[in-house]
Amino acid sequence: MAERETESGEVFRALLKKSIFLQSRYLSYFSLANYHFAMQSASMETDWAAEHLQTIRTLMERSAVYRRALAPIMVWNGLIGVVGGVAGWKTEHNSARSFIVFWSTAAVLSIIGSFLLVRRQALKESEPFWSPPTRRIAQALLPPLFIGAFLNGFAAYWTWSEGANNSYVAFILILFWLFLYGCAAHSAAFFMTRGMKLFGWIFITAGCAVLLAISMAISKDWQFHFPPHLLMAATFGGLHLAYGIYLYLTEKGKNAS
Amino acid sequence: MNPEAFLNLDRVIHEKGRLAIMSMLAATAELSFTELRDALSMTDGNLTTHIRTLQESGYVTVAKSYQNKRPLTTVSLTNQGRKAFADYVDLLEKIVQQTRKLK
Repeated sequence: MAERETESGEVFRALLKKSIFLQSRYLSYFSLANYHFAMQSASMETDWAAEHLQTIRTLMERSAVYRRALAPIMVWNGLIGVVGGVAGWKTEHNSARSFIVFWSTAAVLSIIGSFLLVRRQALKESEPFWSPPTRRIAQALLPPLFIGAFLNGFAAYWTWSEGANNSYVAFILILFWLFLYGCAAHSAAFFMTRGMKLFGWIFITAGCAVLLAISMAISKDWQFHFPPHLLMAATFGGLHLAYGIYLYLTEKGKNAS
Repeated sequence: MNPEAFLNLDRVIHEKGRLAIMSMLAATAELSFTELRDALSMTDGNLTTHIRTLQESGYVTVAKSYQNKRPLTTVSLTNQGRKAFADYVDLLEKIVQQTRKLK
């Protein structure tokens, strides 16, 4: 009897030992699982919160559109184009070299005037001139404008010794300027009012029209009699002026409302 | 990790669509209904519902006017909305910092 009790006691103790061992193993397993779960969720939460912050930043950047009044800038550039075109035509700056120098000067005047107008608006509204939207617009405009400036330099160097009345050089340059300016306006439009995209496309279309005219002239051996200065006045001058007037009228309507 | 940060997140702003609206409005003085709809690719109904929720919480104001004889609805953040948004972003940053420490 006493032997049986001892035996059952031993079995009980052995079972208890085993259960304690199993319990401790399971407990450690569960706590480890809990730890992993906590670490995983912590990592997920970081990702989630970081993603949220990134989304907020992207949306805020997209929302901060360039809101300077474009009408005076457009009118200024339009006037430079029209006055410059007529002046160039009247003063007969017809050699390729003088055409490049003349319009490079006009471009510099146009950029300086535009910057001064933007600065005046920024001062008037007590805002920084070199604000993030202004910086983004400048970055968007820079590559096509740089290519345009490089082409000008290249063409000026190439035609410097020639100095002849080569209207094809002028027309090819106008073609490139139209394409590049159209691309620049279209890129800038991602941070501006949507009308700028259409404005960019109009310049690109005008470039296509000039290209077709040149190719037809070459294939049929025609001579161009249309002064390139007047083409500049019609495209760069006319389009800027028209858009500036349109903006003046629509912005006036908005203010009235 | 302190779970209090999650519990303190503003539930009105925390919803994905409303957070997007608040983020866009936080960067500018005002945006038109059309600008918001196009930028966020939302339907008119969806955007209206979210704006109404934000308006009821006092986070945005809606102004109606006319531009070129067409009705123009503009939405802007209120001071309360701007503060709530700033608090929300601060809390998100705290969560990121806390969980990075855990890693």
